[in-house]
Amino acid sequence: MSYDPEVYKDPKLVLALKERIAEVARELGRPVKIMHICGTHEHEIGRYGLRDLLPESVELLAGPGCPVCVCDAEYIDRAIQLALTPGVILASFGDMLAVPGGIPLRDGRPGDVRMSLLDAKARGGDVRAVYSVFDAARLARENPDKEVVFFSVGFETTVVAVAALLKRGAPGNFSLLEANYYTPPATSMLPTLEGFDVQGFLLPGHAAAITGLKIYEHLPRLGIACASAGFEPVDVLSGVLSVLLQLKEGKPRLENTYRRVIPYEGNTLALKELFEVFELVPQRWRGIGVIPDSGFRLREAYRGYSAEERFKEVFARPLPRSEREHPKGCRCAEVTLGLVRPSECPVFGKLCTPDNPYGPCMVSHEGTCRAWYTYGMDRGRIEVEV
Amino acid sequence: MKAGKKAHVERYGSVRLSHGSGGKLTLELITEVFAATFGSEPLKELTDAAILENPGGRLAFTTDSHAIKPLFFPGGDIGRLAVAGTVNDLAVVGAKPLYLSAAFLLEEGFPLEDLVRIAESMKATADEAGVAIVCGDTKVLERGKGDGVFINTAGVGFIPPGRDLGPHRVAPGDVVLVNGTLGDHGIAVLSQREGFELTLALRSDVAPLNSLVEAVLAAAPGTKFLRDITRGGLAAVANELVLGKPFGIRIFDHQIPLHPDVVEYSEMLGIDPLLAANEGKVLVVVPKEEAEAALEAMRRHPLGKQAAIIGDIVRKPQGLAVVETAYGTRRILEMPVEELLPRIC
Repeated sequence: MSYDPEVYKDPKLVLALKERIAEVARELGRPVKIMHICGTHEHEIGRYGLRDLLPESVELLAGPGCPVCVCDAEYIDRAIQLALTPGVILASFGDMLAVPGGIPLRDGRPGDVRMSLLDAKARGGDVRAVYSVFDAARLARENPDKEVVFFSVGFETTVVAVAALLKRGAPGNFSLLEANYYTPPATSMLPTLEGFDVQGFLLPGHAAAITGLKIYEHLPRLGIACASAGFEPVDVLSGVLSVLLQLKEGKPRLENTYRRVIPYEGNTLALKELFEVFELVPQRWRGIGVIPDSGFRLREAYRGYSAEERFKEVFARPLPRSEREHPKGCRCAEVTLGLVRPSECPVFGKLCTPDNPYGPCMVSHEGTCRAWYTYGMDRGRIEVEV
Repeated sequence: MKAGKKAHVERYGSVRLSHGSGGKLTLELITEVFAATFGSEPLKELTDAAILENPGGRLAFTTDSHAIKPLFFPGGDIGRLAVAGTVNDLAVVGAKPLYLSAAFLLEEGFPLEDLVRIAESMKATADEAGVAIVCGDTKVLERGKGDGVFINTAGVGFIPPGRDLGPHRVAPGDVVLVNGTLGDHGIAVLSQREGFELTLALRSDVAPLNSLVEAVLAAAPGTKFLRDITRGGLAAVANELVLGKPFGIRIFDHQIPLHPDVVEYSEMLGIDPLLAANEGKVLVVVPKEEAEAALEAMRRHPLGKQAAIIGDIVRKPQGLAVVETAYGTRRILEMPVEELLPRIC
């Protein structure tokens, strides 16, 4: 299949979709809320100003789509603790470095400031940014006299690479701080939340390319119209249109509007390896709580690579941490669930900015607050006077 | 004892601490490598300060330090960067660059062969720009205390009478242009970093822009503002121009020229090319009636073949840089807040 990304940015197509969406929304005659569950979606929506193209009756919300934002603060604290342990190199994705965890820090900044991996680095911790788990394994080979711990944060899309590495063998001085999240159970949990008022889902294109769509089949039965969507402007708007058409017909379904990437059954080879190495366990999502079967844990045969096992003695003496999941005043929890917009948070853009993030959603480029701040989405439609 | 660049490299191989001691090796390095390469009269005389002709008019004076990894990258090296960077800082205030200084911080053990290559590249770039390197300094840092070589260049130029460029002249209705594709330098350098090492057709755009600037000023004498687009990319320059001002800037993102490698690679890494670094690009603000003339002048110049009109100055929103897409949608172009390239760790 040929794939010319420019086609999916084509202004003619985009404007035609805009017209069609407006038409269907008019025929539908009631307000509709559609939620996507992927940080990249929010980023692209901001970058291309796609909310400007939707009629007032159609609202596009950001759900829990950022692995950095939902990563439990306790994992961050453990990563910090390992980074400060002599002889340990803590390898992490760059996006995680500035995320505040649960360890209170008094360094002169205002508010309820928590320690991040960058703070640990500034205090002498050996923290390295890597692009993938393979870079971390290379770091382990290059430093045979050190223990290299990979802070394995991410959704199923990222975990497949970890499984691939471990299947093929990793260095003996390499281990994994498992902070991985499986998204489908969280998506299924959303409609059960009190006050959850969403009629359609844009399912995440990247994640669904791994998991496939079968696992989402129950959502239409709850009355939610679903469309799996890609990330270019044409993809996102096609997803929105699909949801609106389903609602207009009164027949919520599961439509794949991203067929060039998502096979219905997912990536079976990757899934096979993934579940050979990992099993599903209950997992705590930051600001959301524990969701059954939503975390990846190394199976018995691979437990030797678990940092939890290897550094039991270190973790037996945890650093003092705050009980509060998010810093005082931060509304990341509600933002993550799509219950409030970032602009409704009292610290957004004031105490909490990308250069001095207060809550996790302002740190990662996948975070909703970060995307809103970067692209000025809190301003609504930006009027220009020539 | 043989003298000259080649002999010096053969004799010592790499930089030693004594190259910075002020003694014999320092003198040899200056005469055999730097003065021999740069070839300017004031430098050959080895006086404590260069004594220069004053062409008259107001002087422009600037300085810039350069550190880059890798030192040699597709399309350039730290030497070309150090000369072009300072020349461009002078050119965009309307000055004709004349004299440069060159101060080197060398790391012990740095191969002299590479230092010669860097010096020759500086000389070639200085010739291209029509400037002379007239004074300098050398210090050596202990091994492990430097990144091979750091170069500081300061530059002096003079401003012809009657020239007045600056943000105070910018007003709503003015037109914004660039002289070519954005983000080439940032992406070309990033492609060479550890973990990527890609082979791209893309080259850094590092180049002295003074002759292009002169061509623009001749064709569009009403030109109001010039700024070289470097670190922080277009986003930084656009924001600096409007910050706290009673006007804003609107950028049409679909009119921005981009190299195909920049489009693909920045997409892959999630980098906004508008935030990526350039070293041979200039943002030009002209009154509307001179926009076509400025554009034509740039396109006739070898460094402006892909020049384009990319935006305008607007009454509102004030103090903000706004991007308008081909769909008519808009977003804010934020001032970059962090190092785009993963340098922190």
